[in-house]
Order: sequence, then structure tokens, then C-alpha cells
Amino acid sequence: MVPPGDGAADEAFERLVVPELDVLMRVARSLSGNTADAEDLVQETLLRAYRSIERFDGRYPRAWLLTIMRNANINRARRRRPQLQRDPDTAPEEVADDGRSAEDDVVDPVLDAALDDALAALPLVYRRAVELVDMAGLSYREAAEALGVRQGTVMSRLHRGRQRLRERLAATGLEGDRT
Amino acid sequence: MTRLIRRRVPDHLSCRQVAKVLQTHLDGELDDETASAVAEHLEMCRRCGLEAATYIELKEALARRAAPVPTASLERLRSFVAELDAHGAE
Ligand SMILES: [Zn+2]
Repeated sequence: MVPPGDGAADEAFERLVVPELDVLMRVARSLSGNTADAEDLVQETLLRAYRSIERFDGRYPRAWLLTIMRNANINRARRRRPQLQRDPDTAPEEVADDGRSAEDDVVDPVLDAALDDALAALPLVYRRAVELVDMAGLSYREAAEALGVRQGTVMSRLHRGRQRLRERLAATGLEGDRT
Repeated sequence: MTRLIRRRVPDHLSCRQVAKVLQTHLDGELDDETASAVAEHLEMCRRCGLEAATYIELKEALARRAAPVPTASLERLRSFVAELDAHGAE
């Protein structure tokens, strides 16, 4: 591939990454825990991606970007230790800047509120798997890239995570035959 | 004696087998052949059908809970990409 700074390569870069910005932000939010840190992480990911574009084979841009993000996130965590190693159970996420509108809350407010609690109570590894697949929309393969684990590990964390959510939510009427 | 009619092997799954692959199926990550066998089972088996409906409801509730990415963030990131393109990574 052509080196960075070249017009054609830049166009290719933009074409590759812009469609992935939304999903990158969703994954970064799960990895970093809030929107502001997520944006920093995505910027760093983009910078690293730009620098290494000539080593990219052109296939699966999302998987490529997720791998870069995982590595960037490891570095960030190292730089910012120890205070970044926060426990999701004791340090609730910021909820102010999530862009959620009142409309999103009308479908089933009881279930949705209970779901927030159930998610917060989930062990972090399960919760990440659920967030990446069910909330960020990643495939198993992509979630495996983002987390640096095998696809089978993603599956078992995800399935157990959902199982636990389901148990917790049983009291609020999460049932297939509620009507 | 219609109940003795046997299905072709991949079409005929037990509830146990379905339970093992149900979430993978709902995530759209099963191969086509297994997926259609599972789908067929779900249509005929009320118990597994309800189980599937519960997971679908959970997945939909999770998707609803996924806060949208703030437009301002996406705009800043788009200009960041444009800037990389204009000036390079340095
Ligand atoms: Zn069944």
C-alpha cells in the first residue's frame, strides 16, 4: 500500500474508518466505562490505524480496528493505573452524557430500569461480552478481537451473562409469554 | 401412523440439543443447516419457543438500553479523521 500522507491512501483510510466510528465508540465505551474516555480511546485507535495502514491487508476493517483498539486500551490502562482499574460494582458509570432520550424509555420502563441494575451487578467479563454483542452489535468474532480472547470464550461469557441477567430479571416479568 | 415418520437427521433436534445452541442461533451465528433445523424445532415445540421468546425479549431490551453515541462525539471523530488525512500523523 501507499504510505500515509498520500492522497489516495488517505481517501482509502477515510473510507475504511468513517463507517466504523459509531461501533468503535460503542466498544470503547464498554472498554473504558464512559463517553469521554471512549472518545480518547477511539482517537488513539484512529491514529495508530492511520500509521499502520500500509500493513493492513484490506480485509475486515472492523476486526483490524478492534485489534488496534484492544492494544491501545491496554497501553492506556497501564499508563493510568491504578485508578483506572475501577470496579464497575463500586464505581457506577456516568449517566449524564449518554444522549438517551425520554422516548427510548417508554417501551417497558420497569424491565428497562431493572435491566440497568442487573447489568451493573454482572461480573465485568460477562458484562463486557453482553455489551459488545447485544449493545454494540459485534459478531462473536469481532468481540473476540476486541477482547483478545477466543471466540469460544466470548460465547461462554455471553451466554452465561445473559443467563444471569435472565435470572435476575425473572422477578420483573421477563418471560416469553407475558401476555 | 404419522408419528412414526422420521425426519432427516439434521432436521430432528432434541430440546436438549436446541437448548445448547439456542443463544448462538438467536445471535445469527449458526451455520445455515443447523439454523434451519433449530428454527423448525422452535416452530413446533412450545417450550423451546417460549425459551427463545424470552431471550429475544432480553436481547431487544439490551439493544434499547444501548445509549446512542452522542452526535457531537461522532462529529469530532470525523474531523479528527479528516485532519489526519490533511496533515498526516506527523
Ligand atoms: Zn423443544
